[in-house]
Amino acid sequence: MIKYIIDTSMYFEEYVKNYTNASFIVGDGYDFKDGIFSGYNEEKRSYDRAKWAFKTVPAVDAAGQPILDPVTKLPTTKTATDPTLQDPRCVFQLMKKHYSRYDLDTVSRTTGTPVEQLKQVYDMYASTGRKDKAGTMMYAMGITQHTVGSENVRVMAMVQLLLGNIGIAGGGVNALRGESNVQGSTDFGLLYHNTAGYMETPTATLGDSTWDGFMGRITPKTGFFSNKNRFYVALQKAFYGKNATAENQWGLDYLPKLTAGKDYSHMKVFEAMAAGTIEGAFVWGANPVVGGPNAKQEKSALANLKWLVIADLWEHETSVFWSKEAGSNPADIQTEVFFLPACGSFEKEGSISNSGRWMQYRWEAIKPKGESKADLEMLHNLALKLKDLYKTSSNPNDAAINALTWDFGGEGHPDIDKVAREINGYDLTTGKLLNGFGVMTTPDAVLGNFSSGNWIYSGFYTEKDGNKSKKRDNVDKGIGNFLNWSFAWPANRRILYNRASCDLQGNPYNPNKVVIKWGGGKDAVTGAPIWGGNDVPDFAPTKAPDVADGSGKKPFIMTPSLVGNLYAPMNEGPFPEHYEPWESPAKNNFSSVQLNPAVKFPAKGFDQKGEADTFPIVATTYRVSEHWQTGAMTRNQEWLSELVPHMFIEISEELAKEKGISHKEEVIVSSARGEIKAFAMVTKRLRPYTVNGKKVHEIGMPWQFGFKGYAKGASANTLTPHIGDANTTIPEYKAFLCDVRRAK
Amino acid sequence: MATLKYAKFVDTTKCDGCRACMVACKNWNDLPVDPKAFDGAFNGYDSHEKLTANTWNIIKYTEKTNNTRNEGLDWFIAHNSCFHCGVAACEKACPEGAISHTEFGSVVIDEEKCVACGYCVVNCTFDVIRLGERTVNGKKKKVSTKCTLCTDRLDNGLHPACVTACHTGSLEFGDRAEMLAKAEARLDEIKDRYPNAQIYNPEGVGETTMFYLLADKPETYGLPVNPKVPTSLKVWKDYAQPVGKLLFGATTMAVVAGVVSNQLFNPRAKGETHEGGHDHE
Repeated sequence: MIKYIIDTSMYFEEYVKNYTNASFIVGDGYDFKDGIFSGYNEEKRSYDRAKWAFKTVPAVDAAGQPILDPVTKLPTTKTATDPTLQDPRCVFQLMKKHYSRYDLDTVSRTTGTPVEQLKQVYDMYASTGRKDKAGTMMYAMGITQHTVGSENVRVMAMVQLLLGNIGIAGGGVNALRGESNVQGSTDFGLLYHNTAGYMETPTATLGDSTWDGFMGRITPKTGFFSNKNRFYVALQKAFYGKNATAENQWGLDYLPKLTAGKDYSHMKVFEAMAAGTIEGAFVWGANPVVGGPNAKQEKSALANLKWLVIADLWEHETSVFWSKEAGSNPADIQTEVFFLPACGSFEKEGSISNSGRWMQYRWEAIKPKGESKADLEMLHNLALKLKDLYKTSSNPNDAAINALTWDFGGEGHPDIDKVAREINGYDLTTGKLLNGFGVMTTPDAVLGNFSSGNWIYSGFYTEKDGNKSKKRDNVDKGIGNFLNWSFAWPANRRILYNRASCDLQGNPYNPNKVVIKWGGGKDAVTGAPIWGGNDVPDFAPTKAPDVADGSGKKPFIMTPSLVGNLYAPMNEGPFPEHYEPWESPAKNNFSSVQLNPAVKFPAKGFDQKGEADTFPIVATTYRVSEHWQTGAMTRNQEWLSELVPHMFIEISEELAKEKGISHKEEVIVSSARGEIKAFAMVTKRLRPYTVNGKKVHEIGMPWQFGFKGYAKGASANTLTPHIGDANTTIPEYKAFLCDVRRAK
Repeated sequence: MATLKYAKFVDTTKCDGCRACMVACKNWNDLPVDPKAFDGAFNGYDSHEKLTANTWNIIKYTEKTNNTRNEGLDWFIAHNSCFHCGVAACEKACPEGAISHTEFGSVVIDEEKCVACGYCVVNCTFDVIRLGERTVNGKKKKVSTKCTLCTDRLDNGLHPACVTACHTGSLEFGDRAEMLAKAEARLDEIKDRYPNAQIYNPEGVGETTMFYLLADKPETYGLPVNPKVPTSLKVWKDYAQPVGKLLFGATTMAVVAGVVSNQLFNPRAKGETHEGGHDHE
């Protein structure tokens, strides 16, 4: 589609020239040959990304004099650009060259989508590259659960930038989350490499052993994240209060550290368990014996734990992994398993953040059943218990627990309002709630005078308005933004980078769908024009389009260059490139490199790989609306269970005929990892593809079944591979090889 | 014939098959699961082959090839439950006067009066009614059961549970004229995409309180093309029964009904199909 958009000149030229890095000149280190970018280390399966840096030139002022660094007084540099986009080393030309190989015929041969349909889709979508049109992209696990998952998302972002579809009403690249609060969990740092507000976790390295060294590594010099130090200090003040000071490096020593370069993601944790390097685990609202890739191996790994704590609504396949019904011999397993009964979402108060970054408050509808408790209460009591156990300890290892402030009340249910206030943050000199994170970024703001448990949410809870995530005003005041319904981070902004909806002068590209515009508001004191409209400006409202440093014309405030990245260094390269899945029946048509060269292979014992001669059929997995995730909740609900009571595979009429399988018959599906029994649903909705001139069959199956609950069935993840994306390590659940045969 | 003032409008072109309507129905009406669901028989995407005494609405999934769009394939999905006919064969067939119309146009069964004779079951135009066990006045009893259009909710100013649960707007309830106008407007919108689309609100049964906007011909959804209430049933209910009751008393007439119904009115007993020419089997 990128090639099609460029070849047909359907891109939004003004937007591409001004608001993306299309004009940036790439340095001489960048190269690309036969599927591999420059800087590749085959042994480590990783790239030296410094090779892809932009070309720099001396920075000069309007009079042609060198601009000196204010501190070092040395001449500074800037990225070389060609605003005409003609330089063969500019991003636009390199991109054009990179995708010139992706012609309709080759893409069609690779995907199995006929040329005419490809053209139809490309043409329809590319038609949104106009001022008065908007195109949105929504995606879910079908995009991310691949060894090239991140690159799939990157391609969508590039298409949206080319068509000027970011920052406008009805545009964007929108993730449809796989769980109702996935947005909230990543916002609050539940991923191992991030802490709250998308700031990095420190590593156990010399560089990160001092606050300045750590901040120097993670803080960009330009863009809004140049304030990271200020947000991180506020986070430390929320964690450790008076125990985080400039003198003790803001409590850096209290934070847990990662081993640099080590992968702590789901698959690697289970591989480490199998290797015996992890003693205990908390599995909180998850059911990896059903949901994990290569699930049989993950189940076996659990038996290496000394202890396992499960917090969930019902006993599920993971909590009884040791039992006979799980196929285990209880006598052989020494793991001590604790089960903490959790209550459901309707039984507790709190918030959920959706994909649009709205934090919406929810109230307790009914009291928790039995002995079940809210997750927050379990954590609260665990924290109190730990603090009590270590309170007299002088061991430096225990200092982090003693330094932690925990002012949410005594044993029992914590005061959730206090948690909400701590997330928002305080001005520590006055004890008042912050009105937003802006106050922390002013030149005279004193480090350590503020606390904020999550800077991106700062401003959701103010002295004047209270908890804004409780707002429920459903009156549309323009373009369906509903600014008084809940609170969206940051600063209640609904459309990120909304400055990009206007031209350089600040006039809306589409006057019928104004997001913001220059002069859309008036300064309360001077009456001078400021940014305003139907959204909160993603920009200092007083920053005029013609401000001298040029930043008034740069909408992408979170990137160091302040423009959108058509060229961006990912682990496998600055431009997305096609590679086949780990298991594929097809040869890569675009290079001799079959698999994403930056993907890491599974550990021994998890590395069973199927080849197309033994497993010629492509398989994919998905969910059904009647069952939630691993089914641990829905398979324990009779009314939902009766709607989808049995494990099935969807299979084309053509494949059914070849294999002699009839509709509703039992079949066995096998992969290099194992085999499962399922019913065959013969359907016209699946059809063989023609890939590289050969017929390729595909089957699909839901993955929510297990051996517990009312609706029982074989788990699809018995079949899936233990390999994932090169950036996120999300497993490749969506494409693997299998075979199918009749059960009888 | 009841005067219909309200309608439940089912726009099949907006249904995504999530089946929230099925769960909402069981939840509100306190209906248990069908044990058959777990007996190992697999029905494809259809959770139930037919409506049952404990499952008053179902979603039916139909794949059909065409030669025009989507590489020649359509997947038709439709909510299916009682139509609440304006002229209801079940009501005509009932010898006990246990079936009646409410002010909302819903056809409801009085479980106290019902004797489980099954005439409504065999005479139902759309194969909706089933015999099931219920507790009536503290005693277990076999009765005819089906969707009530949540008349108990309508009485309290609420919409039927299925309508409230529907997240796509496929199910709506409201003023009949308004719903019909909505259906006409929607039909105009989808005609290009679905040339066989039509409103299904059969006159032969006095129109229906639940009516459809179908994306394809009625046959595709397993619906009778031109259903009618048999004239014999109307004669029975409107003339023979009142006169008979006058002459022989109600009890005798109920016994007569047993003989007459089975011999005369039961289309399956006679090996016939409905007058519309459609066979449900």
